[in-house]
Parts: sequence; C-alpha cells; structure tokens
Amino acid sequence: MSHIFWVVFGKEILSFLRSIGLVAAVLYSFTADIYIAGEGIQITPRNVKIGYVDDTGGGISQKILSRLHRPEFLAPQRFKSHEALSRAIFDKEILVGILFDQDFEKDFRRGKKAQLNLLLDATAASQSFTTLGYLQNIVMDFSKPHFPVVIKSHKLFNENADNHSFMALTEMLSVITLLIVILTAVVFVREKEEGTWDIMLLMPVDPRVIILAKSLSQVMIVMAGVILALGFVIFGAFDTPMNGSFWTFMLLTFFYSFSSAGIGLFVAAVSKSTMQVAQLSIVIMMPLIFLSGAWTPIYAMHPVLQFLSFFSPLRYYIEGSESIFFRGTAFVDLLPYFGGVLILGILLYWYGFRKIGKLF
Amino acid sequence: MKLSVIKAYMLKEFTELFRSKLIIMVYVMPSMIMLLFGYGIRMDVTHARTLIIDNDHSHFSRMLTAKFEHSKYFNAKLTQISEAEALHRIKQAKADIIVIIPSSFEKRILHGQHSEIGVFVDGAFPNRGMTMESYVQGVILDTAQSVGRSLGRQSGMISINSRNLFNQAMRDADAIVPGLIGLVLFVAPAILSALMIVKEKERGTIFNFYASPLGRGEFLAAKLIPGFLLHSLNIFILFLWATELFGVPFRGSFMLYWFAAEIYILISLSIGMLVSVITRKQVVAVVLTIIITIIPGFLYSGILMPISSMAGESYIEAHLFPVMYFNHIIYDCFLSGTGLASAKTVEYLGILIVYAALLLALGSMFLKKELK
Repeated sequence: MSHIFWVVFGKEILSFLRSIGLVAAVLYSFTADIYIAGEGIQITPRNVKIGYVDDTGGGISQKILSRLHRPEFLAPQRFKSHEALSRAIFDKEILVGILFDQDFEKDFRRGKKAQLNLLLDATAASQSFTTLGYLQNIVMDFSKPHFPVVIKSHKLFNENADNHSFMALTEMLSVITLLIVILTAVVFVREKEEGTWDIMLLMPVDPRVIILAKSLSQVMIVMAGVILALGFVIFGAFDTPMNGSFWTFMLLTFFYSFSSAGIGLFVAAVSKSTMQVAQLSIVIMMPLIFLSGAWTPIYAMHPVLQFLSFFSPLRYYIEGSESIFFRGTAFVDLLPYFGGVLILGILLYWYGFRKIGKLF
Repeated sequence: MKLSVIKAYMLKEFTELFRSKLIIMVYVMPSMIMLLFGYGIRMDVTHARTLIIDNDHSHFSRMLTAKFEHSKYFNAKLTQISEAEALHRIKQAKADIIVIIPSSFEKRILHGQHSEIGVFVDGAFPNRGMTMESYVQGVILDTAQSVGRSLGRQSGMISINSRNLFNQAMRDADAIVPGLIGLVLFVAPAILSALMIVKEKERGTIFNFYASPLGRGEFLAAKLIPGFLLHSLNIFILFLWATELFGVPFRGSFMLYWFAAEIYILISLSIGMLVSVITRKQVVAVVLTIIITIIPGFLYSGILMPISSMAGESYIEAHLFPVMYFNHIIYDCFLSGTGLASAKTVEYLGILIVYAALLLALGSMFLKKELK
C-alpha cells in the first residue's frame, strides 16, 4: 500500500518539475512577489508632504512646524494663500495643509482658545489620520507643559511598527493559499479532463490512497516554497523577528496546507475543466484571503462576514501565525488554531473522498 | 483586416464564453470582490477591545474610565486582573489594549507630582497598533485637559479644527471603494484574456489559427474585443455598486470616468495577452496573472498608502504600473471632481493611452503565427 502511495507521490513531483513554467511561477511567487509586497508598503507616515500658510508673525507657528521632521514628514512647504494650498492638495502634491490664521498667536498668548485649521487629504485616510494624531500630540504637548500626567505607551511585539515584515508575512500566507488550492485542484482535474482518472478508479487500489498521495505531493511542493520564502525573504531580506517556535509554525503550515488542499479537492470535485477550476478557485479564494483577518481584524467586520469567516481555514492560520511570529504565544494557547484548521480539513477531505473517489 | 473574418471569430469566442460558463465569472467576480472588500476592509479602528486596570479607584480614574467607555473607538472593560494576566490576554489575541492607572493617581495629580499611566498596545498589526496608540493618547489628553480646566491650571491652549477634503466624514467606503474599482478592472480582464489564448494552446486548437489565413492583428482583435465589450458593462455595474450601495459621492464627469476605465480595461486585457504569449499551460497563466495583477493592483492603488510617501524602489515601481495613474483619475472623478481642469489628470490620462498602445504593440509583436 505504501509503495503505491510513494509511486503516485513521486510521479506528481516529477510531473511538476517537468513543467518549467509552473516551477518558475511558484518560485517567483515565493520569493520576488513576497519581497515586492513587503518592500512596497509603509503604512506608517513617511515623507508626508506638509504645506502651510502662516498669517501670524511666526513665533509659535514656527515652533510647531519645527516639531514636524524627518523621517515622518518632509520639511513643511510655505504657501502664500489658502487657495494656493488647496490647489496643491487637489493635485496630490501636499497631503496635509496647516493654516495659521492672524488671530492664532494673539489668542494663544492671551490664554484664549486658539484655533489651528487643518486640511487633510482624506483619500489617503490612514496617513491623514496618523498625521492628525501626531499633530494633536504636538499641540497638546505645547499647550500645557505643566500638567503632570505622563503616558508610558508600549507597542507590544513590534515596538517600531515595522510594516515590512508584517506585509511580507501576510503576503506569504496568501501565496500559500493561492498555490495550494490551484495546484491541487489542477492535479485532479487534469486527470479528469484526460480521462485517466476513471481508469485510476477502476484499478484495485484504494482511491483514498491515491487522493492522499496526490495532495501530499502538492503540499510538499508548497512546503518547499515556504522554506525558501522564510529563508530568503522573511528572515533574509526583512529580518523578521520570530518570537515563537519555528517548528510550531512549520507544523501549523503543514496542517493548513493539507486543509487547503482539501479546498482544492472540493474545487476539483465540482469542476470539469481547468477553465472552471480557475474560475471557481478565484471565486472561493478571494473571500478566503480577504476575510481571513489579514487586513481587518475579524471583530471589526460586518456581522455576516464575521460568521462566514468561521469557515475559512485561513482565518485560523493567519491568527495562529501572527501569534507565533509576533506575540510569541505558547503552544497550549495555539491549540484552537490547530483545531480549527484540522476540523475544516477533515470535513473537506471527507467530502472529497465521497465525491471524487467514486466512479458512480 | 477582414471584418467578416473577425466577426466570425468573435462569434465563436462569445459562444465559447457562454458554453463554458466563463461568462459567469466575468460578471460575478468583479462584483464579488467589490462587495467583499467594501464590507470587509476597515481602515479606521473601532471597538478596540480595551482592558482598564484601575488601581486608584478615585474620581479622576473613574472619569478616565468613563471616557473610554463612552468612546465608540473602544470596547472598554474595567477589570480586576493582574498585569501579567492582562498581557496573557493580548497574547491570546483576546484583547488589544491595556490601560493601567497607577495607585494614588489622583493624589499625585492634585499635589502636582508626576504620575504615569501605562498603556500597552498589541502591535502585531503595525498600522492598527499605531492608530490605537494615538486614540488612547487622545482620550487621555482630552481628559487631562478637562481636569486641568477644572483645576484652573490652564494657560493658553490650542484646539485643532481639521477639515477632511474630499471625504468630509472620513467614511471608509469613500476612501476604499473607488480604489477597488481600479483593482477589479485591473485583475478581472487580465485573467479572462490570459485564459482565452492559452486555452487554445493547451488544447491544440491554436493550430487552426496557425494554419488559417487569419492575420495576427485579426486574431488579437477577435480575442480581445469580446473581453473588452463584456467588461465594459462592468464599468457601469461597479459604478452603480459604488454610488448606490456604498453611497460614495460622484462629483466629477462621468464621461471622463467612462473613457479612462475603457482605456484601463484595454491595458488589463493586454497584460493578460502578454502572459498568454509566454505561457503554455492554463494553470501557469492563471497563477501568473493573479500574482502580477493583484499585488500591484492593491499595493499601488493608494488604498493603503499614498504614492507620494513611498520611497526608493517602490516609488519607481508604483510609477511603472498603470494602477496609480488610473486611481488618480478615478479618485478625482468620485471625490474631488476637478476633472480635466487639473493638468495632472490630463497628463495621467495621456500616460494611460500611451501605455495601452505600447502593450498592444508588444503583444502583437510577440505573438507567433507558427510552430516553434
């Protein structure tokens, strides 16, 4: 029995290696693609362009402006009038505009309420928000230096809010999902298309062995890719800290890949051609990836989507991986994630065995 | 170019699209992405799960707690657990923020001594971590301000009056949905056109084309026009989702939006065509197209970060992909409505047109009409 298992396994690995295009695509996705995603995005404000109009004599206003410095902000640019500043914001040359009106300094000196007018480009919402927060802090700091409360604030697990490793990790998890589902589905559907699957089922071999061997081969291909991605990109290029155990992560990845191969099996079971696989897997995968909590935490989503996300193995995987990488969670606290991934996997395989493992 | 031949070929393509049910994907996928993202992605942070540990039980600490409890940004809970236990909750991803008020907090303030409020924020998600941190600081400083006023310790103070241009209420939908149109129209047509040519290669029916008197230009036209026409309808469908369902205002000119979107679809189709020229298997074509369109489509869309604050390589990369140019136009159409009056919009529209022409030329150059 195990002989048959390994022969089928070897055959799938071989046919994968023979298709140079596929090997290249997998390699690209696990290295360059993750690198680009990690490198490209910096959500924390960086090089924010600030413009200002200063109608005061420029005592306090300059003091406030001097607090806005690199790397978060570029040197503030002076504009002659409100209109010129607005135009620059409309052309996206300036992200935040600060208006100091004539009474600003006078009011402040007299102890009255001085008003600072701010124009924000809301199309870059997250940057504008954060910049607003920065400014608020500076201004608060300014207006009452003698109020005796100090806020000691810590960002746990990622003190510098390093986005690169976070983005790269998220991207890797998405790539794993994408590849395992499509690869597994195609392995089965191609045999279906060519008619060899029926012959396989007619042979005196337990179809479950074949199904498991075939999916294991794809899982192994993806696992190899994960090791490459971890070595070269996640640890290599971005120097991601690993607060938890490496082997726990690999184990979780292995279970998750199997569970997602189950999704591939499901896709293969219901579609007849590669074309349909492509459609179905995209339609299934998009929600999986974007409802996984990678972009928005689950509890902040629409209630319907929250409910649906219970059925996404990626949800458990992403939460689990983030916990392992950043939070350094202990193994016992990770068990729910393992459980979620495993239960969904078993259900999917059960369906796959019934649907694709039988001739009639 | 024989029009009758192209027409016949196109008819065949349409029939195949209907028979293989690919037509479902042409219309289901874009709307699906739009709805999922539109409802699923939230950039602002609300209901952050906050644990407050109050060691003081004084008037001031209760005031601070009440501020947290009344804010929509926090789901604050006053707990009696230890600090270590609270940290453990964060590790289990069951809490996002811990606020620790020290004992004799009120007394020290009244005596003018310094006291420290400890704030711990889960930074595993960097952007959210930053936002939550600044919200917490905001609430505490706000409370401090009102306390200070009641104690008469206030000298001058500055209040910030911020106006959010283009998106007054800072609605997430307004900031995200137009960018989603740019993403969807970049991904969906590319996948369709990639599949349409590679499918023939994998099945061997491409030899019909090799052997027929059909020219390369005619072949490409026959392959691209159906996708172009079908996806043109999506421009309107997505527009309706955005304005009717998500309630995004539309302030610019519809003609500009329409025209730019058509050009953009052409670019996307051409990218798919280029992929199908170099690949031979449908799987590879699908994987490759998804990878090269979704990532830039999302990264450089401006949903996550404005292009102007990118640095180095990513700044250049962003300018290489058409997404950024289209998104500038589309955000302009939806939110600001300056239209062609802005020189930048005209320039970007020009770049898109050049881009489309270039890709089409490349595609027809590389498409071989013979056996390798």
